[in-house]
Amino acid sequence: MSITIIVPGSLKDLLGGSDQVTCEGKTIGECIADLDYKFSGFKSRVLDEKGEINSSFMIFLDGQNLRILDGLATSVKDGDEVNIIPFAAGG
Amino acid sequence: MIIDRPDSHFIFVMHPSVLMGKKYTLYEGKELTNGEVLQYWGKWIVLGEKSWLDELARKLDQYVEDQVIPCIKYDRKPPENLGLTEAVMMVYCDKRKSEEIWQILQQHGVKIKAWVTERETMEMWLPGGPLLEQWITSMNLGEEEARFNREDAAARLGYIFNHPDEIFSAWEQ
Repeated sequence: MSITIIVPGSLKDLLGGSDQVTCEGKTIGECIADLDYKFSGFKSRVLDEKGEINSSFMIFLDGQNLRILDGLATSVKDGDEVNIIPFAAGG
Repeated sequence: MIIDRPDSHFIFVMHPSVLMGKKYTLYEGKELTNGEVLQYWGKWIVLGEKSWLDELARKLDQYVEDQVIPCIKYDRKPPENLGLTEAVMMVYCDKRKSEEIWQILQQHGVKIKAWVTERETMEMWLPGGPLLEQWITSMNLGEEEARFNREDAAARLGYIFNHPDEIFSAWEQ
């Protein structure tokens, strides 16, 4: 189950300097856990203290905001692409 | 056509008819109401260096001229007061046409696939919304100016939410 994570240049530091990496998981939450294993501190930056998506970011699966899907419980399948952008870019 | 007025923070790509007063919030040639804009209107978000966005705008201009893409706007410089270090381009369209527009963007090298509805954006700019409050803080506005800006946002955006059957009109930016 390989999921591709893509971020804009300004968020490359989240992924160790890359703008595109792959990860494993059956849900977005599992993907974030896998990314945290690969990139220390990833989870604490992307999620808030309640374990929800940090208000500084928007996360999209196939273009759709996770907030209107099932959040971190949203299922992903092999080959899916997930995008993370700064929240303010949506305004 | 690309409209690049130095006194505006934004650079626009619009069909010439929009400058003559025609609406760009259309679906199948019909002008959308406020309610339809809240239901269907939105944009693909593209982030990048200003020079790359300039080049992309020149390529997309033909699609705007052909009225395939309704409207595009992008930052003249990164809006650092909102915490952004890259410029943002917004490629506006109706949700029902959004996949068609996405295919065009992808053909021209856009990788990030992020659809944001106009309703979400308006909610961010309502009083108490994260972007309006962040903007007020970043501009270091006094209490009176902050109150004026909150009331102005509430009036402009509230009108759209409260008059769903009226034809949508965008405001000057």
